[in-house]
Order: sequence, then structure tokens, then C-alpha cells
Amino acid sequence: MLSIIFGALNPRFLSMRNLLAIFQQIAVLGIATMAMALTLISGGIDLSIGSMIGLSTVIMCKLIMGGTAVPVAILAGIVVPIGCGFLNGVIVAKSKCVPLIVTLGMGYVYYGFALVISGGLFMTMQGQFRTLGRGSIAGIPIPMYVVILMVIGTHVLLKYTKFGRRLVALGGNETVAFLSGIGVDRLKIITYTLGGAIVALASLVLVSRLGNVLANVGEGYELRALAAAIIGGVTFEGGRGNIPGVFLGVGLLGIVQNGLNILQVSSYFQTLALGVIIVAAVVVSNIEKMRQ
Amino acid sequence: MNQISVIQTQAIKKTFPGVVALSGIDFTLHTGEIHCIVGENGAGKSTFIKILSGFLRPDSGEIVIGGHTFHHLTPHLSQEQGIQVIYQESLLVPQMSVVENIFVGRELTGKFGFIDRKRALSETRKIIDSLGIDLDPQAMIESLEVADRQFVKIIKALAMNPRVLIMDEPTAMFNAQDTDVVLKLVEDISKRGISVIFISHRLEEVARVGDRVSVFKDGKTVASHENPNRDIDLAMITREMVGRSVDAFYKKVKTSPGETILEVKGLKLEKNSPEVNFSLRRGEILGIAGLVGSGRTEIVEALFGAGKKVQGKIIIKGQEVTINRPADAIRSGIGFITEERQKTGLALGLSVAKNMTVAGLNKFKGFFITPSDETHSAGRYVDDLAIKTPSLQQEVRFLSGGNQQKVVIARWLFRESEILIFDEPTIGIDVNAKAEIYRLMSELAENGAALIMISSEMPELIAMSDRVLVIKHGQVTTELSGKDITEEKIITYAFGVTDDEQTA
Repeated sequence: MLSIIFGALNPRFLSMRNLLAIFQQIAVLGIATMAMALTLISGGIDLSIGSMIGLSTVIMCKLIMGGTAVPVAILAGIVVPIGCGFLNGVIVAKSKCVPLIVTLGMGYVYYGFALVISGGLFMTMQGQFRTLGRGSIAGIPIPMYVVILMVIGTHVLLKYTKFGRRLVALGGNETVAFLSGIGVDRLKIITYTLGGAIVALASLVLVSRLGNVLANVGEGYELRALAAAIIGGVTFEGGRGNIPGVFLGVGLLGIVQNGLNILQVSSYFQTLALGVIIVAAVVVSNIEKMRQ
Repeated sequence: MNQISVIQTQAIKKTFPGVVALSGIDFTLHTGEIHCIVGENGAGKSTFIKILSGFLRPDSGEIVIGGHTFHHLTPHLSQEQGIQVIYQESLLVPQMSVVENIFVGRELTGKFGFIDRKRALSETRKIIDSLGIDLDPQAMIESLEVADRQFVKIIKALAMNPRVLIMDEPTAMFNAQDTDVVLKLVEDISKRGISVIFISHRLEEVARVGDRVSVFKDGKTVASHENPNRDIDLAMITREMVGRSVDAFYKKVKTSPGETILEVKGLKLEKNSPEVNFSLRRGEILGIAGLVGSGRTEIVEALFGAGKKVQGKIIIKGQEVTINRPADAIRSGIGFITEERQKTGLALGLSVAKNMTVAGLNKFKGFFITPSDETHSAGRYVDDLAIKTPSLQQEVRFLSGGNQQKVVIARWLFRESEILIFDEPTIGIDVNAKAEIYRLMSELAENGAALIMISSEMPELIAMSDRVLVIKHGQVTTELSGKDITEEKIITYAFGVTDDEQTA
């Protein structure tokens, strides 16, 4: 419906090129949202996703600018967010603190590292590693393939594997999971680490597309991923939500953003709109719960 | 007698889905008297108190307070009528001082709307002094002993100048000395003209302080005795608490038990707690009786690896096993059907199938779960246990209590657990579903499983158990079997009416 509204307001919206552009824009968010959805469904949350993207991309650029071989730099860009996720998981699982606060704080730590490493300056990939973010196969941009594969992979993992089932049970009721013999701490750590791995992929796509980044490049991804997941039917309490729905949430956010761009709404207003959408999504999802 | 009544209730009835909690309570509280209410767990005491405090609305009946007739109360109305309740659980803010707690929510303010600490302090002192107890009004709640916290609750209630003070087991966690102080306090309070409703499981206390003793049973007042000479016949009270109309009850099919499957030796939950020893055989249902809070659940939690323990040997099928986590216990063949089904038994938002398979996922080979496999194995139990659900994908929260319980049982059957621990298996379940659960338990035992059943419901405990352990203060006070399993005996050992050993 939104597409039709935007289409009516500006015919450019419905062009094939623009639809591909939307996909291009939401690819990174789509991938990052899978990480968010996993942690949410397990009963947690990871608010450090944006900072992890910043740290990972900054490190890759820094290494390449320092003359490190591209594969090594990429590897570092993958390992770092995985380590961050692992760390988040360990703290959340072992300290029994609220994941919201733990990951919010850790986000600052990661962002701080990114600032220190970059010195607050623009970092560049020096034109290397462009295919993942900018290439296309059969006329369709590669990031689109990546996001679709990630969505399918996450969906299968959650729905058709023992690991996914345990994760859902953990989010559904931690005590029940514990009393059913599930190693709750270990499962949490794995979930956050897996989230980190997914964020690593998002970072690669992003840095490859942009070519150069600032430490705050990932800013706001965590909130948009959260919004997309909630719109898609995931709840704060965990145990609920399915990945196809979440992907629709991502699409919706992409369409809104793209539509506002085409209508040349200022980015300040877009921020405002995003905030309203997030709160509205949470409130609506809670109203349904209160009815029960 | 020519006494003035403060509260009078007539034919108060209250039902919860599937359960009749109160089936007609007639109760009269006279001015300045201490009126004790006794009864087994589930007799309706707490429900009645909640109706007087306005937290529950009765289905029918009348409450007359000081001449006004009410069909129901609200918490506000109840307080307005001068009723104050001291609940068992602490409703104090631990991070605040005694004074702050006493005036929380109705802080005394001075001229500019600021809190008048001095006045609050002096009022609190006044009450403390009048009670003749030793308590620092500025101490933080978290730094106080249990007994002192109890005093704070009493002071808080008295600060509201109540006409009626209701005390729900005020001495439950006290030792003899502190109990004595509380009892004296209660007597003192009633001498000021405040009427007291005093609920206690300790019958000696009731005999000592009660001007009148009412016995609740199955949601009715079965007797009300005056106790002017403090010499009420406790044996009679016990009989009245017990003697029920005989109703057709499901009985376990008694089979000759098989080999010993579980032995618990020297289990200690804490360093100073008593040792617990028991054994369990195939085909047997071992009942565990005891008052709420006697430590029954803690013992089985420790056995299951879900609760604290400091030592103890657990031998399963002749082999000693180490159980530190539920996963260990499950691997050894133990399944645990917890008391709070909705909180610790089920993930309410997940489907019937997911709840059933959660403890036995390893039965699916490899990394993946094939939906048809799951449907097949879970579906079998829906049929076997006659679980009423539109589909396996239905969220369990939509199922009735009985069917929810069956889902939990199915979880352990799916896991092929041979030792099943049932903690209050029929709580919140309607009569018909109860019978089904009993039949199921009996069948499980017949088929060679070994069952432990904790229950506060005497009839089910007696009908279902081959042996009964009675627990008091975390200790096995006796083991009853065969004809010795009677309500009188269980109550005697659980309440410690004839208790001549040292207490606490």
C-alpha cells in the first residue's frame, strides 16, 4: 500500500531501477536485522550491532591503508565482530545482567575503539574489494543475493534445526529451557557470537559498497534492525517471530526511507519518522499482547 | 452473647475456572477478639482473606462491616473500613528505612509539601514504644532480621489505625522465641480494641491466643469454637480439619513394586540442614507431604539439579550419578513436572509440539528437525494422553489447565524418562482432568515408571501413594506406608501437633 502511495506521489518510485535501488539500500540492514532477530527471539537483544559494523569496517580500511593484504584485512573484519558478539554473549550469560544495558554499553566500547583506530578520520579501502557491494550477477546486485541467502539461512536455522529450536525455547521461557536440560549460558553465548558473525557479513557488504567509511558508519543500524524485527512480529519478550515476517519489516522500512528520499524529505525529518515508526511498532505489538 | 460484630460474612462463594475455592463462608468477627482460622492448604483461608482485603470479588454472598452491607470490596474500600492485612510475603521496600516504609505512599508532609521526617519519626517511635519492642526506626529494612521485618509490617498496619487486623501466618518463619514475642504482641493489639483475624498452621499458637477458632475446610466454615480458657481440644480441631465427606476418588492400582531405581543418601541442601534419605522403586508412587514452605519442593529441585545442595549421593539403577544441572538429571532418566506450570512448566507462547519435544530434541538424529518427524512423534502423545488441542501448532496458553499439564507430562514421556517427579500435579485443574491425571500416573507406574508426587491435597496423596514421606522444616519426619497413610497421621507429623522434639 505504501508503495502505491509513494508511486502515486512520484512515478519514479515504481521504476525497476528504483526497486533494485531499494534492495541495494536495504541489503546491509537486512543482514544486520537477522542478527538482531536471532538475539531478540532468544530473549536477548544486541544494541551494539551498529558499533560492531563501524569497528569492523574501520579495521579493514586501516589494515589496507597500512599495506596489509586484502584477504587478511577481510579476515580481520570478520573475526572482530565475531569476537565482539562472543564477548557480549559471555557478559550477558555469565553476569545475568539485562542484555539491553550490557550491549548498549559494549556498543560504546566498540565505537570508542573504532574512533581511536580511525582517529575520527575518513578511512578508505583504496578501491579494493568492490565486487561484493557493487557487483552484479545477471543484472541483479550481489548484495541482493547475499541478503536473500541470509534470510533463507536464518529461517531454516530457526525453524528446522535443533539449535534453532533451543534458541526459540530459551526465548519462550528461560526457566523451562533450563529445566529441559538446555545449556542456557552456552546457548546465549553461541547466539550472540552467531549474531556477530552475521554482522561481520553486513560490514563486508557495507564497506565494499561505500569504499570509505567513518567510525560512525554503522550508527543507527541497531535501532533500524530492531524496528524491522518488531514490525516483522518479533517481540521483546522473545520466543516469537518468524524470519520471513522480519524480512517484510526490513522491506517496509526500506520502502519508507526510499519513498521519503524520492519525495526529497530532509534527512532530519526521516530521522524523526524512523523514531515514530519504532515507537509505534513497539506500542502496537504490545497492545496485541495486552489484549490477551 | 451480647457482643458487637465488626465483620460478618454470609454465604461467601468464590469459584475460579474449574475450582470451587469458597463454597459458603459464614464468619463473624467480634470487636476486640482474636479470631483464629485454621485449615489445610487449599481450604480457602487465603481466598477468604483476599476477599476481605478487596483483592478478590466473591461470586455471591454478603459482607457486613460495621453495619454497612457490601457485595464486594475493593482494596481501597477495605482500608477505608479499617481493615489491614499483614501478608506472609514481605511487602516492604528493602532499600528504605523503617520509618519510610511505614509511611510509604502516604508520607507526612509539612508546610511546603516536603516530607516531614520528624513527625514521621516520632509517630513511628510512639508505636514502637507502645508495643514495647526494640527496633531502630531508622534502620534499613535490608539490614533487619526476619522477625524485625515482621514487626515493621505490624507497625505499618497499626499506623493506619485499623479496626481489624488480619495476620496471615505471622509466625511462619520464626523460631520459638520470636514467635513468643509476636504472640504477645497480638494479644496486646487485641486489648486495644482492635479485632484480629489470625491465621496459623501452628495449632498450639492458635490454642494459646485465640478467643475463637474457626475451622475452614473445602471452602466452608465447618466449625467455630470459643476458647475462653485457652484449652481448646487440638485433637478435635485436627479431626475437623480432616474429616471430609467421602467422595469418589481415583485410586492408584496397587502393584507389587519392582526393583529400586533411585536412592538418595545423605542429601543436604545447606550446610546445616538435615540429611534426607529415601529410595524409590519401579511401579511405585512415593508421596511427599508437608506444609507449603516445609522444603518439599527444594528437596526435589536439588535432586533434579535445579536447586541448591551441598552434599548427597544419588544412585540410579545401582550407579552413582553426579547431578549438577537439570541436563544431568534428564540424562539419568529423571523428569520434573513443576508446580508452577505456567511459569516454569511451559513456554506459553510456543506451540504444543515445541513444548513437548523441548527436553528430547536429541532424539532427532543429526542437526535438523524434520517437521514430519516431529508431528509424528508429538502427535502420538496427543492421542495417547487425549490432549484436547486443535492442532500441534496451537500455542499452549490457549489450552485448559488439564491439557497443559498433559503437555508437560508428554514432554517427559517423549524423553523416555523413567523417574517422574510431580510437584502438585493437579493444582488449578478441574475435577475431570484431575481424574485423568491420576489415571495417567497410575498407568505410568504400572508400566514400570517410578513416580514421586508432592501434594498438599490429602485425598490425592492418600489415594495415589504407596508410601508417603512427611517433611517438616526440610526434614523427613516420618515415612508412612500402606494402612498407615491417613490424613490424621500426615497432619500430625506435618503440623507437629504432638511434636515433642525440639523445634528450630
